[in-house]
Amino acid sequence: MSTVNARAFSAAQDFLLGAKKFWTTQMYPLLREQDRAHVAHAATPVNARMQDNDLYPFYAWMERHLQRMKYAGRYGLAPWHETQRPALEAALAKQNVPTVAGFQVPAYYPSFDVHQHPGGLMGDSLAGFVYERGARSTTPLDKHFDLHHRFTRQVGAFLKPQRILDVGCGFGKSTRPFALQFAQAQVTATDLSMPCLKLAQHLDAQENITHVRYLQADACATGLDDAGYDLVTSTMLLHELPTTHLSELFVQAHRLLEPGGWTVHLDFLPQVQPGADEFTHFMHAGHSVRNNEPFMQSLAAFDLQGHLQSLGFTDISITPFAENDQALAPAYPYWRFPWTVVQARKAL
Amino acid sequence: MPTPHAAEQVFFKDPAIDRLMGVTMALATEVYVLRDRLRALETQLMDKGAVDAQSLNQEVAPEVLAQHQADRDAFVAHLLSPLLGQESSRGIQP
Repeated sequence: MSTVNARAFSAAQDFLLGAKKFWTTQMYPLLREQDRAHVAHAATPVNARMQDNDLYPFYAWMERHLQRMKYAGRYGLAPWHETQRPALEAALAKQNVPTVAGFQVPAYYPSFDVHQHPGGLMGDSLAGFVYERGARSTTPLDKHFDLHHRFTRQVGAFLKPQRILDVGCGFGKSTRPFALQFAQAQVTATDLSMPCLKLAQHLDAQENITHVRYLQADACATGLDDAGYDLVTSTMLLHELPTTHLSELFVQAHRLLEPGGWTVHLDFLPQVQPGADEFTHFMHAGHSVRNNEPFMQSLAAFDLQGHLQSLGFTDISITPFAENDQALAPAYPYWRFPWTVVQARKAL
Repeated sequence: MPTPHAAEQVFFKDPAIDRLMGVTMALATEVYVLRDRLRALETQLMDKGAVDAQSLNQEVAPEVLAQHQADRDAFVAHLLSPLLGQESSRGIQP
């Protein structure tokens, strides 16, 4: 038993998931409770309060290193998928995804390992598989894939899109729920990562989804036609963009939408969550650093409402999103992402 | 802008604790992997009286993982509860 076999890999990953659950349901609530009870709470900034707290270093260590172990430890996703390389590469060998003319990888994208994924999402042909497997255990309390269907149903409650553009689609985790719910729609999905796009197309084929067109393109330079869509959407993309790209994304969304079309994005904004306070912001900023997602903080500081208004969007709303039925209850005790829906309409 | 090999993130006043936490969690992972394998071996021996190495090394199915979730959570709680700094009995005031 000197090598890592599939049983050992899955057992170790399950252990890490259990540890993440403990972090989510035990460490975070206790840290929150201890912070509220700090003897000089009102007079002491939260970073100083955390410096006084014995639990906080363990909390922060766990957040950083459970993710490191999940991706890069002995039983990590990256080394495990490396052992499966020939079969996995063969599975994608027939997938051809076009690249938009003039495609350029933005400089920020390969400059760090997002999510602590070794090499990032473009660094290796197996990156899509590694990311997909990792996404199955992002949140220990919810089936992470369910929230995409919740989001799609929420969009479907006010819109029946016929031409959908999903930018930053990754391996199609956000795209497939749209394709399944709006079976008559034409769906286009773009991403920077070719390994993710090929996996997306492969997974679509397994589910007999045939009406999605994948394209390698920067969301800010898709090369797609003006006014070609009635829905431009993204899921967990906004917080991956530096401010310049974030700003441009909405310029492009406005260009790509037909009059009356909607842009709808599911992402993370701590300030709109029920009961959000400086502790909420501090933990979110810490997550940004510890999970190698530096633009979470610039997204939180960006004036989305003002930017959307300046572009001429109407019906703007920025509202918290419930990933499960209890998540937005004021007393919800557990760690969660500050899920938020940003939506706006191009004027008729 | 971070780089792929940015400076080590340190969370404790003494970085030795950060690194020892890594050692502890690596050992705990190995223990959990061994517990899982021992449980699988026992199950095979009780069910069939022999070991099937091929199935022993296969990935654990999600439904089987779900069956063992309570045991996993108890193992994790046993391991990590000391970090919470909570006493389990009433004591005298120091």
